[in-house]
Amino acid sequence: MDTARATRADLLDPATIAALGRIEVTARWIVDGFLSGLHRSPRKGFSVEFAEHRPYQAGDEPRHVDWKLAARADRWAVKQYEEETNLRATVVLDVSRSMAWTGAPTRLTKLAYAERLTAAIALLFLRQRDAVGLVRFDDIVRSSVPPRVRTGQWVRLVSALEEPGAGRASHAADALEAAGRLIARRGMVVLISDLLMDRDDVVATVRGLRNAGHQVVVMHVLDPAELDLPQSNEALFVDPESGLEVATTVADVRAAYQATVREALAEWRRSLTGYGASYEPVITDAPFGVPLRRAFSARQEAP
Amino acid sequence: MGFLAPLWLLAGAAAAVPLLIHLMRRRAGARIEFPAVRYLVRAEREHSRDLRLRNLLLMILRVAAVLLITLAAAHPIIRMAGAGHAPTALAIVLDNSLSTSAVVGGRPVLQRLQARARDIIRRSSASDRLWLVTADGVVHGGTRSSVLDAAAHTEPFGGAGDLRAATSRAALLARAAALPAKEIAVLTDGQASSWSEPLALGDIPLHAFMPVAPAPANHAVVAVRAIPARWTPRGAVRARLLASDSATYRITLEGRTLARGIAARDEEIVLRAEPPERGWTAGTVELEPDELRADDVRHFAVWIGAAPAVAIHPLAGAFAHSALDALVQSGRASVGNEIALVPADEATKLPALLIAPADPIKLGAANRALERLGVPWRLGAAQHGESMVHAVDSTRALEGVTTSVRYTLSRATGAERTDTIATAGGAPWIVAGPRYVLVASPLAPPATTFPLHASFVPWLDDMLSQRLSGEGGIPREVAPGQRIPRPAGVDALELPEGGVMTLSGDSLTAPARAGTYFYQRGTARVGALVVNAEPSESELARLTPQALAVKLGTPAANVLTDSTALTASVLTAAPQRPLVAPLLLIAAITLLVETLITTPARRKVS
Repeated sequence: MDTARATRADLLDPATIAALGRIEVTARWIVDGFLSGLHRSPRKGFSVEFAEHRPYQAGDEPRHVDWKLAARADRWAVKQYEEETNLRATVVLDVSRSMAWTGAPTRLTKLAYAERLTAAIALLFLRQRDAVGLVRFDDIVRSSVPPRVRTGQWVRLVSALEEPGAGRASHAADALEAAGRLIARRGMVVLISDLLMDRDDVVATVRGLRNAGHQVVVMHVLDPAELDLPQSNEALFVDPESGLEVATTVADVRAAYQATVREALAEWRRSLTGYGASYEPVITDAPFGVPLRRAFSARQEAP
Repeated sequence: MGFLAPLWLLAGAAAAVPLLIHLMRRRAGARIEFPAVRYLVRAEREHSRDLRLRNLLLMILRVAAVLLITLAAAHPIIRMAGAGHAPTALAIVLDNSLSTSAVVGGRPVLQRLQARARDIIRRSSASDRLWLVTADGVVHGGTRSSVLDAAAHTEPFGGAGDLRAATSRAALLARAAALPAKEIAVLTDGQASSWSEPLALGDIPLHAFMPVAPAPANHAVVAVRAIPARWTPRGAVRARLLASDSATYRITLEGRTLARGIAARDEEIVLRAEPPERGWTAGTVELEPDELRADDVRHFAVWIGAAPAVAIHPLAGAFAHSALDALVQSGRASVGNEIALVPADEATKLPALLIAPADPIKLGAANRALERLGVPWRLGAAQHGESMVHAVDSTRALEGVTTSVRYTLSRATGAERTDTIATAGGAPWIVAGPRYVLVASPLAPPATTFPLHASFVPWLDDMLSQRLSGEGGIPREVAPGQRIPRPAGVDALELPEGGVMTLSGDSLTAPARAGTYFYQRGTARVGALVVNAEPSESELARLTPQALAVKLGTPAANVLTDSTALTASVLTAAPQRPLVAPLLLIAAITLLVETLITTPARRKVS
């Protein structure tokens, strides 16, 4: 069992799996691994409905055999299903400068992690015949791909992920509004960001999306060093976006910092869940399977 | 509280390091890009009071840790109430001088002192260090049982020893020990002559014990001397007694009683004798036994031989002939070939009393004869003019003797030791060495007034009997344990009880037991070492406890006469416990708390 878990790409160390190939390759491994794991779960037969019968062929699973037809018509046939395409989802990805940071060279940057997670979510949704779009933003909306379910959509999304994002600051409100505009009917918006931005603006926009009937999932990407502070003695900490500088003794403020981060995360959770949005902290040393399962669960709860 | 290594307290200055770090904090460090600075700012803003308190607490903990560690390094010890005593360096001075062998109350004083020593030693514990120092300078250290054994087997010393030196030695031993408590216990009979001068021991705790019983009356032979030192064969024994009343005495020679008698108080005993013994002989003067037996016998030694047989040369001079005739007639000398009395130029053998030639022309022949005989002196140019003669040894009365003609005496370099008996005009005039005496003037009135002087015949007798006849040397009287130079040519010491002790080195320590010991060269006796106790040791008068306290020379001296009080006083230093372990434990706890405060909390995000 342990061996099986270890070979599943969605459960591997993110930096390890990312080193094995490009985004589209690793995203496939991740989703394949995730889905193979999902087959073992008690929740089976998701988002599919019956389409037609097909003559039974050797190798078909017996559980797909239509036993009633076999009894009634003495004909062996298996049921075939047609996947649903009733959800339109847009992933809103923060590509600001703060995302291009990692607390340790052995870990992925928050942006690299988020890009791979975005690709995996998009692929997972597309395989369920959901329409998936993408909005990338920093201080402005850098690029957007409208949600589609057609063939080649995922390639477009991956290509969009590889575009640069050079803004210093993050401004998610505009991007979220743009995402809302891209979805004509009720759908799903997934915000993947480090949320180093004004909380009120984001919450207000999320409230608007929720009022419009969209399901909103916020994935708060955090580097482990942002939870604990980097290992150092005396240091001058500089915000890469704002240029704000703070000189401090890490050992002295670590406990207070940790408490503050915990408090901030709790505030985000309280604010977002208060309007019906889902909030999930995502740590960049966690396997991709963890946030992917969160996204999948949210998708299952979508109308 | 005390410290065993107080220099480590200086390391307490290291406590300034955490202070400086706190003062200099945030002044240096790396520049780190960190997106979540907003949380840092918020943390400092919202937790500023907590952070200040935390920093203050950390500073206090770190300073406390440094101070506790440096305090522990200084090995602090603290006195604790309770049973037992602190580990103590205890040096016990046991007075085993001759006077402690006096019997008081049916047993020797030394036995009482030994009992007190054993009482004290039994009170000690394994953590104490013990030494037993006796008056004769012997130090016993080691385990409790070995010191106990040494105290039980301590023998009375034959003399006074040096109780003051023993006490000073004990103080040094106790002070040198690395133990928290140091004490000295002095067990003495309080004899006044043993504590003539005050000591300077500093403030080391000292407990002294002296018996309260008065000193017994004592009589003793305090001086004996054979006169002269060499009998040919006649001589005399002169003795002096210490007695409060008349005393019966006996004088022996080689165990044979020479005389018995009763001496009145302060009477000097003089016994003339012409014994048949020959050579080096041991004798004693003895009194009836009293409470202190050891000083009732005093030893002496004398060389006894026949009257010297002298062959006088015709050219020795009329005065020399006359003087020798007088000695022969009185039996002090005889005519024979043992000793030559001869002008130096005519001398052919030793022993000889050599006289400078009357004619200067014979000076060369005289010097050649001296060289041939191995005499290191040479006669030089004649000095004319009157010069006063002075005896180097003031006991030889040559006052008034003058010289008109004398030859300069010069000594060959590298010559063995010689004696100058008399000088004239500040230069040697009569010199002597092994088996020769040389006079630098002819013994005739034109050259010197000496032959006309009253001291001439006794001097000639003295030279012939004491210097030139028989083996050389005079007996030497020393105190037990005294360090003396080893006489040249002596290689063994013949013991009174029989047996021989081989000697080596330049010096030797006189035996502890009184008696007559003969120097030996090969198997022949060539001298005598007479060991007798110091006369002062027979004076048993004791100090009062107050006077003894003053003599001990330390304000911390506690002089006791009660054995129970002594036992209760010694080894009572309150136990001192080391604080190293508790301090290090507190320091470890302090550092643990500091670590807990500074260690980042485990990440918990859900």
